[in-house]
Amino acid sequence: MFSKKSKVNTVEEKIPTIMQRRWRKFKSMKRGYNSFRILTMAYILSFCLPILVNNQALMVSHNGEWSFPAFRTFVAELPILNTIIPNKTYQGIIFGQENNTSECKYRELQTQYGNENKGDFVIMPLYPYGPREIVSGNGERGDVFLKPFYRTSDGGFRLFGTDDSGGDVFSKIAYGFNISISFALLLSIIEYLIGVPLGGALGYLGGKFDLIMQRIIEIWASLPVLFLIIIVVSMATPSFGLLLFLLSIVSWVGITTYVRAEFYREKAKDYVAAAVSIGIPTWKIMLKHILPNSLVPLITFFPFTLIGGISSLVSLDFLGFGLPPGTPSWGSMISVGLDHINDGYWWITVVPLTAMFFTLMLTVFIGEAIREAFDPKVFSRLR
Amino acid sequence: MAVYILRRLLLAIPTFLGCTLVVFFIVQLAPGGPLEEEIRALKMGGGGEGGAITQQAGSVTALPQDAMDVLKEYYGFDEPLFLRYPIWLGIYPRKVDRFIIQLGEARNIGDGKSVVVQQKGTEYEIFDAENPNQALSGWKVRNYKNDKGEQKLQIYKEKFSGILTLNFGKSHKYNEPVLNLIQSRLPVSIQFGIISVILTYTFCVYLGIQKAIRHGSPFDFVSSAIVFVGYSIPGWALGAVLLVALGGGSGIGWLPLGGFQSQDYDSLLLFSKIADRAYYFILPTIAFCIGAFATITMLMKNSLLDNLSQDYIRTAFAKGLKERRVIWVHAMRNSIIPVAANFGHLIGIFLAGSYLIERVFNIQGIGKLSFEAALSRDYSILFTFTVIYTVLSLIGSLLSDVILATVDPRIRFK
Repeated sequence: MFSKKSKVNTVEEKIPTIMQRRWRKFKSMKRGYNSFRILTMAYILSFCLPILVNNQALMVSHNGEWSFPAFRTFVAELPILNTIIPNKTYQGIIFGQENNTSECKYRELQTQYGNENKGDFVIMPLYPYGPREIVSGNGERGDVFLKPFYRTSDGGFRLFGTDDSGGDVFSKIAYGFNISISFALLLSIIEYLIGVPLGGALGYLGGKFDLIMQRIIEIWASLPVLFLIIIVVSMATPSFGLLLFLLSIVSWVGITTYVRAEFYREKAKDYVAAAVSIGIPTWKIMLKHILPNSLVPLITFFPFTLIGGISSLVSLDFLGFGLPPGTPSWGSMISVGLDHINDGYWWITVVPLTAMFFTLMLTVFIGEAIREAFDPKVFSRLR
Repeated sequence: MAVYILRRLLLAIPTFLGCTLVVFFIVQLAPGGPLEEEIRALKMGGGGEGGAITQQAGSVTALPQDAMDVLKEYYGFDEPLFLRYPIWLGIYPRKVDRFIIQLGEARNIGDGKSVVVQQKGTEYEIFDAENPNQALSGWKVRNYKNDKGEQKLQIYKEKFSGILTLNFGKSHKYNEPVLNLIQSRLPVSIQFGIISVILTYTFCVYLGIQKAIRHGSPFDFVSSAIVFVGYSIPGWALGAVLLVALGGGSGIGWLPLGGFQSQDYDSLLLFSKIADRAYYFILPTIAFCIGAFATITMLMKNSLLDNLSQDYIRTAFAKGLKERRVIWVHAMRNSIIPVAANFGHLIGIFLAGSYLIERVFNIQGIGKLSFEAALSRDYSILFTFTVIYTVLSLIGSLLSDVILATVDPRIRFK
């Protein structure tokens, strides 16, 4: 990460910069660094979920014609491409599934082609169950509340079982992971984008501006966010972006107070006085002199804002004021699970909780390691 | 110090007004207020066949205008928007004891009294119906047009009644004064709050000290992992897991599935009462405390470690003091300061409640009350909670600073 820089400048190669030293120290902390690697890998991998865990076929060969349903949906759901390529689902009848004018059931198609033996074939993803699948009808085939590690009669395998609507728990967990992390990352970035400049200005400029703004922020922080969300949800279906907006309304306040205190402390130091005395403009002092020095607590804070973001999304989903129904989300799964807690369907509650727990735990380990890597204090004990 | 406290208290006033003002208007302007709820309830309840028709009409006018007026007055919606806040605050008179009256006709106003209104020029005068010569004081007359343009004459009294006079209003959902409602939920919340605070602080401070003394040992490593595991999982989620594992239903059934006391609680003896309460409190209390464990433990540990590497500790050791004394007397006095800095906010434990935990454990607590109030737009409850929480947090942060100054004599307030 930092090696490129030092190769250009051969003199500095021997004396690592402070960031390099911190990075090395972070790498040397096995628990935190491994957590970091696992979490980053899992997050990157989770973007490939549509071709790994999906109920749409990767490839269908019917009468010599090839089609790629999973890729098509994948491309059509990408942020920019979705305006160009219409999202098209393949009807079952196209592939010779009789009387099925709605979306093709690829798993059944696979068995059908196998029986017909006409040279048609279907390639399914590694785990052929999608997060938005619902078993229609009254669970006629007994496909609701399947136990973990359940093997269906047609050779299917349910890793973590199914929930009350026959949806696959593993698939929902996997997609929910991507949504949770993305949400928390974006929320944290928004918090920083508002909190850092504002807190910096408050701490550095101080005086009446600080006094008045502090009061305004206190008032702003008292906004009843949950109530606002309840009202908005009662009027419109909340989307990912809307929830992000609503939650970021007050969540930046914590960072602001933090940055304010940091700038306030740094401001009194000699290097700032020196910078002022040689006539460097205020914005430059704040941006180039104080900010790098107050970066340490900000970076160490980041994993913990991430945890806050994940937890609040899960809580909102749990309450039923989160992402629109049908979106794979951990909170709504826990809520469903708790409704069935007395019926012995333990896995619907336990699996999403475990997933959340592991994600948060890895994040905490990363956070702890970063904090320690950035902490210049080496504690010495006499006895 | 006194000047500082006074200054802070003065600064708290605009903050308090601002907070309540913002919340007041957001809640008031939010669509689907109690008026609409009530109208819907009245329509639904007003006979089977009427329900569908009026719903189709879908407009407010489907209710008789008089009934509408009464409802509007009940919720204070007849006042202009800008006056509602000062009325609610209690610095602008509220109209009470309102009666619609016809000119010259006697009107019963309760208590066996009736009044007559007479017009004299542009003024109105109110008399006791039994004693027509004696003008009644305190009553006012209002001549207004309702939404349909009908001319109405109303007599009323004016009274300063709002949160500053400690009138928190009545809940429209429970039809009970809000303070009574909160009072009935308070015991559970206070018990939770106090128990969890005592547990958290005694446990965390002790653990933090032990971890600092044995910094770097396996004990330190393992306890860090456990504490962070606790931090990683939201309290209500942990509660849910424990409920699945230990509660009845699919679990082994050691602990109850929810609630906070047995059904025959009142008939139990004192000792069994305590045992019963503890039995029901174990899981919720764990769920309630778990999040704070990591923060306080690590704060305590880092602060003590920090102090143990200071020169004055070296001196203490050098003059031959025992390790126990150095740590518990010399280092502790300085190390407890960051932990004590948060004590002021403990005032909030009196309203401790988390809707999520209460929902998981099916407890009728403060959290549930406020959440359901938000759902049903129960204005009085919502406003009361806003007021209480704002006041508590303002007092809490002031108290924190004062406590900080007391335990740390180096801090001086300007």
